[in-house]
Amino acid sequence: MIKGFSRTWRAMLPWPRPRGGTRYSACHFCDTLHEFAPLEEDMAARCTRCGAVIYQNRPASLARATAFSLAALLLMALGHVFPFLTMDAAAMRRELTLAGAATALIDENAPILGLSVILFTMVTPVVLAGGMIYVCLPLMFGRAAPGAEFTAKWMSRSEPWNMVEVFLLGVIVSLLKLAKVAEVGFGIGFWSFAGVMLCMAGAVAGIDRDELWDRLEVARS
Amino acid sequence: MSGHFVKAADRGLAACHSCGKVSPVKLEDCPRCGSRLHLRKPASIEGTVALMLAAAALYIPSHILPVLRTTELGVVIDNTIVGGMLTFWQSGAYPIALVIFAASILIPLLKIAALSWLCLAATGKMHPSPEKLGRVYWITELLGRWSMIDIFVVGILVSVLQLGNYVTVKPGPGALAFAGVVVLTMLAAMRFEPRLLWDRLDEDAEAPATTHESSPS
Repeated sequence: MIKGFSRTWRAMLPWPRPRGGTRYSACHFCDTLHEFAPLEEDMAARCTRCGAVIYQNRPASLARATAFSLAALLLMALGHVFPFLTMDAAAMRRELTLAGAATALIDENAPILGLSVILFTMVTPVVLAGGMIYVCLPLMFGRAAPGAEFTAKWMSRSEPWNMVEVFLLGVIVSLLKLAKVAEVGFGIGFWSFAGVMLCMAGAVAGIDRDELWDRLEVARS
Repeated sequence: MSGHFVKAADRGLAACHSCGKVSPVKLEDCPRCGSRLHLRKPASIEGTVALMLAAAALYIPSHILPVLRTTELGVVIDNTIVGGMLTFWQSGAYPIALVIFAASILIPLLKIAALSWLCLAATGKMHPSPEKLGRVYWITELLGRWSMIDIFVVGILVSVLQLGNYVTVKPGPGALAFAGVVVLTMLAAMRFEPRLLWDRLDEDAEAPATTHESSPS
């Protein structure tokens, strides 16, 4: 019981340190070795040689990452139910959904393109937001979920492939293209995914990679 | 002579690619997350160049072949990326034309040029400042994804513009080539090892004037 309490207590620290002697940190850009120095909240450590940010301490990082990810998941669900774009032309109404765009490509003999739309706009955001909740929520109580390290690794790998904002710009371009031939308008899906975009940015910016991994290490020890 | 700066690699220490923990490279795998440890990404220049050349080769068909095939009242029209951009320009939609120009034509070319420059600098054939190169690398990684916009527009139009006998739209072979360009340039940028630029700088500083007698700028 004492142990459980101390875990939770340590998880409330701005940045708990794993045990061990002097810890080092290397600049990911120029490989200059630095001794790891604790940071106050809202501060960043920069490389003494090239000036790149090595790590930073974000306030309320776990709560922020969890909350933004949860909001992103809810908005994603909403965005999959409602259309991104509606078009009225020739007495017909057509609606665009993410799944619709992907399946249309697969049906029209472009399966690779269809699958990339699914991967970049549907799978990666779920992996990112879902993974963030899976890893960060238990960490708030000083616990590491089973397979949290594996999840965290895949989260950072999928990050550059999250293209929600690019798809949204694509919807805007398409809308302007279609406006010449039909009556078009944005749907609830579009606004939901605009929210997803903002929440994902908030979630990813909410926590530093080194902090997340230090917390995992402390929770496992 | 890298001044008072010590590199992790000089002490046999490697920062993990996945979790950032600095451990002796002798351990082979990161003790924290299990990823393979490397002092530098293996065969980074070769990999970057190979992916970049593949992207450059696909860039040509991606702009020659149609990305969209529109059938309007039985008449088939093939649309290329450049054609679509020009249509926007002529109809006065300049901002959209510029977005398409930047995302589909300019960014892939800039990425290929930037990566070539970085590879040349990392192999010591050019000597620009690493700070400047760092900014180039950062911008390259940041911009790459935006080129995907054309693929999404194709998907959206194929899904929505299906009005029975009036208008139907099908994806063209150029779209696949263009998706290949985007994915390959992104992989090439990830494969590149920026630390090589600093290694090169330190090597040059240790052996001044013998390798190249360029005048100080």
